[in-house]
Amino acid sequence: MEGLDVQLSFASGTLLLRGVLHERLRGWFSDVVWVYDSRVAASRCDAMHYGRVCDELRGRGVVFEDVVGVPRPVYWSADSLPELRPEQAAAVKSWQESGGRGCVVMPTGTGKTEVALRIMQLTRTATLVVAPIRDLMYQWHRRILRGLHYDAGIIGDHTYRVQPVSVTTYDSACIHMAELGDRFGLIVFDECHHLPGRIRQDAARMSAAQRRLGLTATPERSDGRHSDLVELVGPTVYELSINAVRGKSLAEYEVVRIPVHLSESEQRRYDVLSEEVQSYVYAQRQENPGFTWEDLCTSSAASLEARQALKAFYAKKSIEDRAEEKLKTLEDLFRLHAGERCIVFAGSNAMARDVSLRFLIPCLLSHCGRRERLEILEGFAAGDYPVIVANQVLDEGIDVPAAKVAIVIGGLGSSRQARQRLGRVLRRNGNETAVLYEVVCAGTKDEERSRQRRRHESFRGVRRKPGRS
Amino acid sequence: MLTRDLQLCSYDFQRGLVLPDRLTQKSHAGYAELAARMLAIYEQGVGRRRCDLHRDVQRVFEQETDCPLRRIQAFCKLLDEQATYNESERRGAVELRRTVFRQAAARHPLVSHADTLFEHDVEAVRREIAAGLNRSWEDVRDGLFADVIDYHRLQSFVGYESPRSLLSRYNVAQVQAALFSAVSLTVETAADFKRILRAARLSRLMHTLSSPQPGVWRMELTGPASVLRETRRYGVLMARFLPALISCSDWSMRAVMENRGWSRSLCLELSSADGLKSHLAADELFDSSLEAEFAEKWGLGERDGWKLLREAEILHRGQKTFVPDFLLQHVSGRRVLMEIVGFWTPEYLTARLETLQIFRDVPILLAIPESTVRHFEGQPGTAMILRYKTTILVRQVLEALAGMD
Repeated sequence: MEGLDVQLSFASGTLLLRGVLHERLRGWFSDVVWVYDSRVAASRCDAMHYGRVCDELRGRGVVFEDVVGVPRPVYWSADSLPELRPEQAAAVKSWQESGGRGCVVMPTGTGKTEVALRIMQLTRTATLVVAPIRDLMYQWHRRILRGLHYDAGIIGDHTYRVQPVSVTTYDSACIHMAELGDRFGLIVFDECHHLPGRIRQDAARMSAAQRRLGLTATPERSDGRHSDLVELVGPTVYELSINAVRGKSLAEYEVVRIPVHLSESEQRRYDVLSEEVQSYVYAQRQENPGFTWEDLCTSSAASLEARQALKAFYAKKSIEDRAEEKLKTLEDLFRLHAGERCIVFAGSNAMARDVSLRFLIPCLLSHCGRRERLEILEGFAAGDYPVIVANQVLDEGIDVPAAKVAIVIGGLGSSRQARQRLGRVLRRNGNETAVLYEVVCAGTKDEERSRQRRRHESFRGVRRKPGRS
Repeated sequence: MLTRDLQLCSYDFQRGLVLPDRLTQKSHAGYAELAARMLAIYEQGVGRRRCDLHRDVQRVFEQETDCPLRRIQAFCKLLDEQATYNESERRGAVELRRTVFRQAAARHPLVSHADTLFEHDVEAVRREIAAGLNRSWEDVRDGLFADVIDYHRLQSFVGYESPRSLLSRYNVAQVQAALFSAVSLTVETAADFKRILRAARLSRLMHTLSSPQPGVWRMELTGPASVLRETRRYGVLMARFLPALISCSDWSMRAVMENRGWSRSLCLELSSADGLKSHLAADELFDSSLEAEFAEKWGLGERDGWKLLREAEILHRGQKTFVPDFLLQHVSGRRVLMEIVGFWTPEYLTARLETLQIFRDVPILLAIPESTVRHFEGQPGTAMILRYKTTILVRQVLEALAGMD
């Protein structure tokens, strides 16, 4: 046998094994992708296979020196975690029984964070929590501080403070995992449907963490990559459907769609632009039936027509976004729901600022500092601000105090966004019924997107009222 | 560097090439003047808001109907890279928002026309709040989002040497942006491999060296995980490496791009003959004046049958490479490498000794200052040591070479 000359090490998000003939290694591991790297004269594989590699080598009686980092154990001084609801406890249990690997699928607003915090408390190992965006990262930081009394490290947002328990974003995790991959024993992927992106996967691949937890309300992806989650995180170990909780932890809700009409000049300009875009796409499809928007965006270097079509498209989109009429409709809704807590979701930063300037209400934008955002959210929770406006990109998974009324004015239609958005409004709020308004421009793409939104399962079986306007 | 969303290129699927957007005197003669106008906007723009500067830059291109929006945005980015904006208004804006929104909250909703149900007319409330702050509403409105990046004001502008250098920078920046999608980069060179290799190492890429023909070196640059899967993870390192490569001479490169479901794989090809200009200064030809001095003394001709060639050999083992200062080539075919140890630090010395240890089976003539020589004595290896006081004499070297037989 090779004896102690065999060494397993962590190198830039991969494992290097020296001292075992590569051919022999290939025979031992049927599906772990070992590749011989002549540049360093060793066999290399993704760090995520660490657990299996150790098991396999030991099982074959190979004595090896393991110089991969050992995650620090974590001793929680105290905790103030709430008692779990039965479905949350069941989720924790199935994850543990599945060997500490896998995804928990629960609708937004049903307490996925509590599930993760409990698992962290029970696992007692260095943990990295990966969140989709900075706001959520800070939110995790606060929840860990409140629930586990631990001041977690922060990796991202121009901060690099690594602690045995740290929070980060997908983008930062992907960049830094090459150096940090052997420092954590548990890795939590919040909103883990974001993980299977081509490069983002590295956040999971380059980590040697043997325990993995994925959290999501919507594991499926339109590109079909959700199947990768099984390899990257583990299988779905627990699933709670939105119907099972409606009326329990989530409130009843209704969806009201309000078509608004463009002003005459907006409509005229809109029609011209639509015509321009359509005729271009039509011409392209004559030649190439598979022509898509993606193609238009990248081909814009090539032809004048393509560029003009693209310009027309953006101009058209901005008319949809910022229609004056939408602001008028907002005023009507604010009148109707005066005295009730209400949150507005805009389609862009510019539109959110327009709404903010028109009604002098706070807006949550990407440029807001952490403190300002907190001030707005707390002011909203305390009732100091009856209404706030947020850019759609910020809404996913952010702890927004329960609102009774939500108004969507623009934003792309995708089932995931729609579902996340619903979660915001539908958070348990006594016995009151929540209302979701969708303000869309009649006869535009905007209207189609709204239709797309409601086609999704979470809108089905929901009471609907005819549009008021 | 540009961001990915500002990347502009066209594809030649016939030849399988990615062609980054490039502005040359030939293809875009009018651009030198446009560049001058853009620079003028920034040079005279101190105190103006970023969005206004960008709008003016956009206006420069009004007559250029075939100019893609991304090209203009890329110019804005490159101009911004040389500019400093005042971000100190941030705190004031946050505070102003808080004040205004808190005051308005009590009067929500602000309606366009007050009636018996809702008495707070938006115009009246705006005036009232502004009056309370001793400012006009227009002033308050402008300040409310002054911390938004678009509203930052230009503080100073370092600029570019000339309109031409802005265009050169643009051309390089577009190649860099294209490289973000590269999965591997192969560089071939006959002359400048030492500097290219050093630049690659500085950019934290891994290399595989080969020599397709005598005197020509080929290095394939990728990252650690590249052997496991096709990944553009290291594309950004390749992009960072590019300006250093461009400042070298006599090279050609070929980057294989990520295959995004294209029917065939695409490449980006470039060489020193393409005439891109780097904003980095070319390194000194010689590492130290000692080497330059010695090379000059030796001259171009033969001495006792020996010819002196500068940095003509690479020793490599795994990721370790060593390019000795000189190769001495004898008419008989004998080859001896020569390395000059000049000024030194303990770290430098340790690293040098380690390198020599790795390549101890290769004949190397080591020129060491007398004050340092004790550190090298007793080291294993076949290096022939030549002591010198202040300069290295040709005669001394020839004697040492004769002694190495």
